[in-house]
Amino acid sequence: MITQPHPSFIRRSAYGPEPKTRAAALPGIVGLDIQSLFPDMPRAIYVEGGDLGVVRAATRNSLKDVPMDKIRPGDKVNVLASQYGFTIMGGDAYAEMLRTIKDVVEERTGCRNIRLRVCTGFRIREPDEIIEHYRLREHFPAGAMGIRAIDKGIPIETEIGTLYGVARVYDADWIIHAHHGELRELDMHRMINRAYKPFAMSYARMETRAVAHMNFGPRSSNFVSRVIFHSPFVQSKFTFGCFLLTSPQGITGVTAGTDLEALDRKLMLLGFKSYGKIRELFAEIKDCIVVLDGTGEPRYMAGGGLSFGNVTEAELDLFDLDVVPVSLGFGLYERPRGQPKAKSVNPAIRALVINHMWLGVPQQELATHIPTIAVGDDLARLLREDPMNHDFMARCVTADNLPTAMKFAHALSGTDKVVVFDGSFGTMTVSPSLASYLTERAPHVSRRVDEELMPKWLRQRGIAPESIEAVDA
Amino acid sequence: MVEIRFLAHVDREKCVSCPLCENVCPTAAVTLPAKGAKAEVVDEKCVACPNCSGVCPVDAITLVPREVPLRLGLDATEEEEPAIVALCQKAHLHPQQWLCLCTATRVREGAAAVLRGATTPEEVALATGTRSGCTVYCLQPTLRLLKAHGVKVVQPEGYRWYDTSQTCWDVPEAVVRKYPGHFLEEDLAVFRKA
Repeated sequence: MITQPHPSFIRRSAYGPEPKTRAAALPGIVGLDIQSLFPDMPRAIYVEGGDLGVVRAATRNSLKDVPMDKIRPGDKVNVLASQYGFTIMGGDAYAEMLRTIKDVVEERTGCRNIRLRVCTGFRIREPDEIIEHYRLREHFPAGAMGIRAIDKGIPIETEIGTLYGVARVYDADWIIHAHHGELRELDMHRMINRAYKPFAMSYARMETRAVAHMNFGPRSSNFVSRVIFHSPFVQSKFTFGCFLLTSPQGITGVTAGTDLEALDRKLMLLGFKSYGKIRELFAEIKDCIVVLDGTGEPRYMAGGGLSFGNVTEAELDLFDLDVVPVSLGFGLYERPRGQPKAKSVNPAIRALVINHMWLGVPQQELATHIPTIAVGDDLARLLREDPMNHDFMARCVTADNLPTAMKFAHALSGTDKVVVFDGSFGTMTVSPSLASYLTERAPHVSRRVDEELMPKWLRQRGIAPESIEAVDA
Repeated sequence: MVEIRFLAHVDREKCVSCPLCENVCPTAAVTLPAKGAKAEVVDEKCVACPNCSGVCPVDAITLVPREVPLRLGLDATEEEEPAIVALCQKAHLHPQQWLCLCTATRVREGAAAVLRGATTPEEVALATGTRSGCTVYCLQPTLRLLKAHGVKVVQPEGYRWYDTSQTCWDVPEAVVRKYPGHFLEEDLAVFRKA
């Protein structure tokens, strides 16, 4: 069903240019309703611009049976947040979940020393921007602080030796793991221990993040997060986890509990249910122009509720654990015998137009493997000065404005199929030709996932087929 | 070859002599020579990563254009190929694997730097141009190459980096068995085939 496109709000940042005319405003660009493509996908309780009271109520409801009695009034508590939660549909839902966690813990325990720790990746000043934008200091008077991978560490003794967390993550009596279930970095986690991942990433020192990314395999990297979580040190501080649940339609709920393994299993099943079909649908696209036009770095920018990183790797079924592509570091270069060859970027992407993005993550492979057009001198200047993408601008061209870039991309690629990654959930911002194509392919995809792929994904993880029906956001 | 076009510049009026910049510099280019002294930058060692300017609490450090870009890197073909391959194999790395995504540097170049005598992550960085971007991921292959070559790495004072470099080859069998479903043995088998 064709509708209006709903691009997400772009947050201003030192890491990106000033927002300009959005791609959704281009003549002919439409919104494709996700619900009409896959009616069985978990439905949204909240979409951007909606009533945040719904998120607040869902968070309160998820916490009502979570024991908090070990937190005493005089204790210190750190609520641990990760920066990508704030890129989901403008970030308001995640911020609201964090505020509600604090309110509920305060009400239930009498503890008032509840601090927020906003963890980040490589954009060192992003947490400060987040804390200011969402006015988080006002809601966390005991303190709201940014956490970087290069901050002072603290040793964590694990079953595989000493690993390092960031000291200020753990400088409290108790920690609350406040994360989300959006599908990103599937090539890294493969839906194995997804719920544990921040313990080796957001909450970890840089050496430990690199241990997980570079020293373990394409299916085993989250083992590092798991052993950190199960260390006596982390166990002595862990209280509960609280997750904002998403599907391509929007926020589908909030779940919380003290049993991270149970939460992880739920996240995994919901991941298959929410994202299995949309991933396969993107894999059906044989040629298209991608427009990046949102908050954050390209690979984590959502279009139709699915982050772009899923599309750059759409040629491979990364839910399938028998597929072992050559990935980032992981000690692999040549593909193992019998394995599909992973391309650096899905070759169906014939041209890439960058209208808005942030710097701060190595992503040079995009410009290396796809004809790429950066829109505007301000974006080009930022990219030219980005130390994480030394030669990006040497490999792409610049257009003065978006219409010119699109004209060039159409001529270069020979396709009229366009998909825009503009942070939208609920609708996919596309050209009419791609909307028609995806609408035609959706029933085939739905059947293939239901009959072939879902049973395989579950079988590989030793999960009974009926579990997928039983799980609910 | 990596071209470093910028340089950290300290505004001495603003500098409050805290040690944050010194602790995040991947090449030990930024130092506080004494307690209470202002931060100083050794120009030829600065790889213009975003760390010191990013953490400075008073915005005393900015990255400014270099008058002449600093060119870092080496020609790995000048080293004996069998020696490079042997060192990489010992470190469980592939010579063509990425050492640093930000600068598009391969493990081969890091191995060549170690074979030429680099004994610290800082020296490998200055020989190859790595650690000039995110400064994070390239540290592990670097530590693994150094250790495989028999270098006893010494963790610096402060927290510039910590000596930890576990790999999936180091996981005790009992631990592998304790956590089934993590594909540790299967991933090792994949590495062996590659």
